[in-house]
Amino acid sequence: MSKLKSRIEFILKYVPLLIWGLLNERQQERARMLYRSGTKTWKQFRGNLGGMFGLYVFVFFLAMAILAPWLSTHDDPNSPTWARTNPVYAPPSLDYLFGTDYNGKDVYSLTVWGARASLLVGILASLISIVIGTSVGIAAGFFGKISDEVLMRVTDFFLVLPWFPLMIVLAALMGRSFNNVIIVIGITSWPSTARIVRAQVMSVKEMGFVERARAIGATDFHVIRKHISPNVFPLIFANTILLIANSIFSEAFLDFFGLGDPDVISWGMMLEEAYNYSAFSSFAWWWILAPGGCIVLLIVAFYLIGDALDEIFNPRLRKR
Amino acid sequence: MLILSFNFLLFRVMPGDIEFVLIGKTVTPETADELRKYYGLDQPLPVQFLVYLKQTFTGELGTSISYRAGVPVEDLLGPYMLRTFVLVGLGTAIAIFAGVIFGRAAAWRRGTAFDRVGGTFFLIFYCIPTFLFALVLLTLFVRYIPGWPTHGEFSDEYYNMDFLGKVWDRTIHVLLPLFALVIESIAAFSIITRSALVDVLTEEYMVTAVAKGLRGRQVLKNHAMPNAMLPVVTVVAMNVGWILGGAIMIEVIFSYQGLGYLTYMAVFAYDYPLLQAVFMLEAVAVVVANFIADITLFRLDPRLKI
Repeated sequence: MSKLKSRIEFILKYVPLLIWGLLNERQQERARMLYRSGTKTWKQFRGNLGGMFGLYVFVFFLAMAILAPWLSTHDDPNSPTWARTNPVYAPPSLDYLFGTDYNGKDVYSLTVWGARASLLVGILASLISIVIGTSVGIAAGFFGKISDEVLMRVTDFFLVLPWFPLMIVLAALMGRSFNNVIIVIGITSWPSTARIVRAQVMSVKEMGFVERARAIGATDFHVIRKHISPNVFPLIFANTILLIANSIFSEAFLDFFGLGDPDVISWGMMLEEAYNYSAFSSFAWWWILAPGGCIVLLIVAFYLIGDALDEIFNPRLRKR
Repeated sequence: MLILSFNFLLFRVMPGDIEFVLIGKTVTPETADELRKYYGLDQPLPVQFLVYLKQTFTGELGTSISYRAGVPVEDLLGPYMLRTFVLVGLGTAIAIFAGVIFGRAAAWRRGTAFDRVGGTFFLIFYCIPTFLFALVLLTLFVRYIPGWPTHGEFSDEYYNMDFLGKVWDRTIHVLLPLFALVIESIAAFSIITRSALVDVLTEEYMVTAVAKGLRGRQVLKNHAMPNAMLPVVTVVAMNVGWILGGAIMIEVIFSYQGLGYLTYMAVFAYDYPLLQAVFMLEAVAVVVANFIADITLFRLDPRLKI
């Protein structure tokens, strides 16, 4: 045990040093600055009670998703012989922590496995929407004129379209698969990001250092990469976290609507089955409460983290 | 107009091949040609688009292919639209009213126990997916209030009732979905109102108003509320799509036969003409809501001029 500990200490001590040695001077300077601003942000974040609570919950679910095979008490839900012999609609007990469902599946194990789908969809979908939103926002804000006009009209259009029906229609047309759910959520949730990014880009663009960079002959690409992006990033960061919350929400909704992948275990799927097999009339409350509670906890966690980050990166709010 | 084009394109371009669904695989080639002609799929895309536009403006939305097959979609939609309109309209009205009151109370007592408890409570409700809340509600009602109607929009003996009985029957059936919708939207509206009001209350002219000797109620009513209402109106308009989404889930769970329920049926029957029509209606509803919000903004804010 102590050997392992010393080994971990060794790695923690020398690997950063090794990386440090590989960097050149300019990169070292940047890393130092990054570390400093990181610790500052972290200090502010730690002072935020809600944010810390959210972070703990997030870490808890992350661990749950990663350790799912070891945490689940009954056999792997992906195996074909899953739960043949278990009792049906059993209330929670020591053997089945959250009871069993119509098929005799252990709700606790399903819930543990479901964390994977929710987190994966949440993070990947918001990644897609961040990429689209940021590119559209930067293109519109930076180049202005016609591209701004066109891109913003498109954004407005998507912003106005009713979001849930659009998701349903898209998912229905594209067919039921895990990837499609991610894509659908990604391409329906980018407009708000694009708006935020555009506004920020437009204000950064007018600042002195951009003009200076231009004066010494920097290309558009260079200005965007070195001057615009770093100033847009903090704003998107808080927005991303909120987007993840929304994506998890949407994923649960699509799954519940029966548009998710039937082979992937997720909380939304569990709720859909609970509804379809009338968990409400047999009062199988554990079957609804376990996945439902997890969804709500996870979404609340992301909202709290997002709020905390928003407060840190958005100085206007900090005054209050 | 843009919505119409998008709607058309969406349903033509998407991989779930419309032709495949409309025609099916088992028919002979001649029948397939016949069907293609019937649905107008033999023409090139621009012609199809023009035909689609013309049909939409003259009120023909195509033929439902599965759910009560053969019935023109526009004949199908009327009652569903009315039901959704009752649910969403009534729900939103109540929710705005109550949400603004709650939000105002919370903002005025900012930082007190009332604000904190209420804020946490509403944040959790805001984060609960509507379908989950509806499901929990359904479970509780089925278990503890066995006689309460949780299904459909009128009971089986509906046609034997007198007028008052019918009205009562419909009311009691709409109450539960309405409750679910209202609770969900109250949370959102009160959070928005609170943050907008807090923004306004920390402005300096609030201090001026107090310094002039105005009483708290007067400051709140005459100075803070009019300014705080502007963002509220904007966000409410943006949330109409969200509420509509919530209504879809609620309608499905309580089997309330509105547009959302129809969407659900259309999705599962691969009834694309119906889905297309419903989606168009929902999109138009949201646009109209945004338009109304804009007009309201112009009325509320004298600074805005065209």
